[in-house]
Amino acid sequence: MVELRLPPNSRITKGKTYPSASKGPRMKIFQIYRYDPDDKANPRMDTYELNLDECGPMVLDALIKIKNEVDTTLTFRRSCREGICGSCAMNIEGTNTLACIKPIDEAGGEIKITPLPHLSVVKDLVPDLNFAFEQYASVKPWIQAADTPPPDKERLQSKEEREKLDGLWECILCFCCSTSCPSYWWNGDKYLGPATLLQSYRWIADSRDDATDERLDELDDPFKLYRCHTIMNCTNTCPKSLNPAKAIGEIKKKMVARVGKD
Amino acid sequence: MKVKSEKGVGHWLIQRITAVLLIPLSLWAAAVFLAYITAPYSAAQIWLSSPYIKSAVIVFTVLMFYHGYLGIQVILEDYVPNEKTRTYLIYFTRLFSFFMTVLAIISIIQIQLS
Amino acid sequence: MAERPLSPHLQIYKIQITSLLSILHRLTGMILYGGAVLWVVWLMGLANGKDSYDAIQKILLHPVGLIVLLGWSLSFFYHFCNGIRHLCWDMGYGYDIKTVRQTGWFVIIMTILLTMFTWMLGRTWGFIWT
Repeated sequence: MVELRLPPNSRITKGKTYPSASKGPRMKIFQIYRYDPDDKANPRMDTYELNLDECGPMVLDALIKIKNEVDTTLTFRRSCREGICGSCAMNIEGTNTLACIKPIDEAGGEIKITPLPHLSVVKDLVPDLNFAFEQYASVKPWIQAADTPPPDKERLQSKEEREKLDGLWECILCFCCSTSCPSYWWNGDKYLGPATLLQSYRWIADSRDDATDERLDELDDPFKLYRCHTIMNCTNTCPKSLNPAKAIGEIKKKMVARVGKD
Repeated sequence: MKVKSEKGVGHWLIQRITAVLLIPLSLWAAAVFLAYITAPYSAAQIWLSSPYIKSAVIVFTVLMFYHGYLGIQVILEDYVPNEKTRTYLIYFTRLFSFFMTVLAIISIIQIQLS
Repeated sequence: MAERPLSPHLQIYKIQITSLLSILHRLTGMILYGGAVLWVVWLMGLANGKDSYDAIQKILLHPVGLIVLLGWSLSFFYHFCNGIRHLCWDMGYGYDIKTVRQTGWFVIIMTILLTMFTWMLGRTWGFIWT
């Protein structure tokens, strides 16, 4: 059966509490998932108290402040701090999002932060995304054209053809959507997940790509595509407000349109 | 639709086709079940002795079990990771659904005015 | 190095109308499979003769039977309405998140209304035979 509980080595224990040295009218409690691969202990939730008057507005600002001033061992990915690199994807207050564009004020009470769900944890808020990127690579996310264009020419698209890629090219591969999907939790080894499928559709929908049939052949399998049951957690959580569920729906429509042909 | 039936797009499509057909049929079946659940034996017997009603009830029952079987199959694929157990359970569900459908058809055919 | 832990999932993920309605579709589907078996039992009773028909009817109209029927009717209307919602998605409509929430609530309300209507109708129709 599907494992609803966490395995014994993954159950979260109570961690340390770090009260804030400075006090102010706007105090905030952050509960952060910690796991250190070097000690043999289970993951724990550490509690940090911050004075928001001395902190930037976003959750990432709080994490950086903790790392700089309270606990330098806190580990998380971050880079652009403006929602374009996808590095700081994590679960904040029960939903996946990017810490850099999530305002602290949006959450009432204590803010609970855990890594992206149902992945193996490398350290603290850093999950292992190698397999997710392997799945992404498996859909051949590049243009596959039948002919080679002359070196001095571009592959032209009409305005309408280009518009079909809107809502797809903006995906930054943060995997918030994939790791919000229960179907990806249970069958992520075979199901490609919303992020990779949206990326796959990005090439299927591209008028310059000639490999649509091969791409669809590759997806016609009970697990790779059809573990999507339109749960809609993906679209609900996408920090870029994209619609992976709709992209997957478009792939399914293209699959049906092929039935009976050849 | 023998192409990869019950796999990938075939399975998905048959589930939807049976769903669409069940929209009117299930509403009708629910209505008659509601009407006849309190009916005396003779009234139900008269109703189900008509060959048209018999055919409709058979079609409904077949579609319902086919749709149900496809649904349970997806659930088992989702939640039972062990391939051997999963295959075994899927075959069991298929057999059970088939058996139930046959039982229903035999019963429907048997019903006639005494 | 110890084996890496699995990050928390169901334990921490916020229950949302999206995932909740989805798991309900599955749950009601399974209940309806049980209902299908009940339907076959009813048909078998009818084929078997007056005695077995009357016995099954007595069970169905017993308070416990009525609770089963209530669950069955709720499951049916939920699966029916949400099934249509799913078919709309499959045709490419209703994916934006605002619509998803609206249709979700609509399904819940329709399920309750249709179930109530059915039981009121059932009372009226019940009198036909008496």
